[in-house]
Amino acid sequence: MNISPNEAEEALAAIQKVTQKTRRSVASSGAYIFLIITGLVWLVGFLATQFLTGDIVGYIWTGMTILGTALSIPLGARISRRVHNPSVGAIARRAVLFWVFLILCGIATIAVTRPTDGKQATMIIILFIMIGQMAMGMLTSFSSVWWTLPVVILALIGYFLLPGYFYLWMAILGGGGMIALAFYYRSRW
Amino acid sequence: MAELNETIHQPVRLRIMAALVTLEAGNEVDFSYLRNLLEVTDGNLGAHLRKLEEAGYIAVNKTFVERKPRTYVTATTEGRRVFQEHVAALEAILKRK
Repeated sequence: MNISPNEAEEALAAIQKVTQKTRRSVASSGAYIFLIITGLVWLVGFLATQFLTGDIVGYIWTGMTILGTALSIPLGARISRRVHNPSVGAIARRAVLFWVFLILCGIATIAVTRPTDGKQATMIIILFIMIGQMAMGMLTSFSSVWWTLPVVILALIGYFLLPGYFYLWMAILGGGGMIALAFYYRSRW
Repeated sequence: MAELNETIHQPVRLRIMAALVTLEAGNEVDFSYLRNLLEVTDGNLGAHLRKLEEAGYIAVNKTFVERKPRTYVTATTEGRRVFQEHVAALEAILKRK
């Protein structure tokens, strides 16, 4: 089969166009929106923890978590209807068991270590959530598992070096960082 | 040296393969979603998918989701390899220009 350089150029341009369109379409249909939702929950939750006191902080965290979950479930269902990995469905039950086990381990760790303040408990929860996120990413072969590592490092820096501003640190760099990363993914694609 | 592939080079099939290869290996895409993405008709897409399936470059999975029939399409390992080879051949032609 022989084609002219012009035809080759047109074919490569068509491939590039479809590749870009597919990436944008898949990204806009969900992956990056999950990061924005999680980022918003962290941003609002940690800002409330930093600047407010009393029961209202718990209510804000609960409300934001419920809102985030409520938005994520239909979004996840929509994505999996369009593009999915059949092998992920087969391991979904194991993933749920893993999260249940991890949450129990997290509760046990907090019970054993008896954190003296909210920051210690928060740090333990963040570490367990990030371990879970990384494990899920590896289990389902998603290519974007690396973002959990900088979140852990940033959380540890805030915890040890800026204890007075830990929650503010987590709101801006943790929550805000996830939102920024989401828009970076979107623009890069 | 990389060779051009006549089956893949057809414009619609080239775009189908480009879309499927862009997804992570093992991921399947819904027929309707692919049709909208490529802006082709049901019949046109179906005919080209059959050609690619016959060549072993894609796999078609007909299943039920929420009691509704759904068709999912994925690029096979061979399809990915042949497509990359086709792209390399196109690039080689441009370099010789």
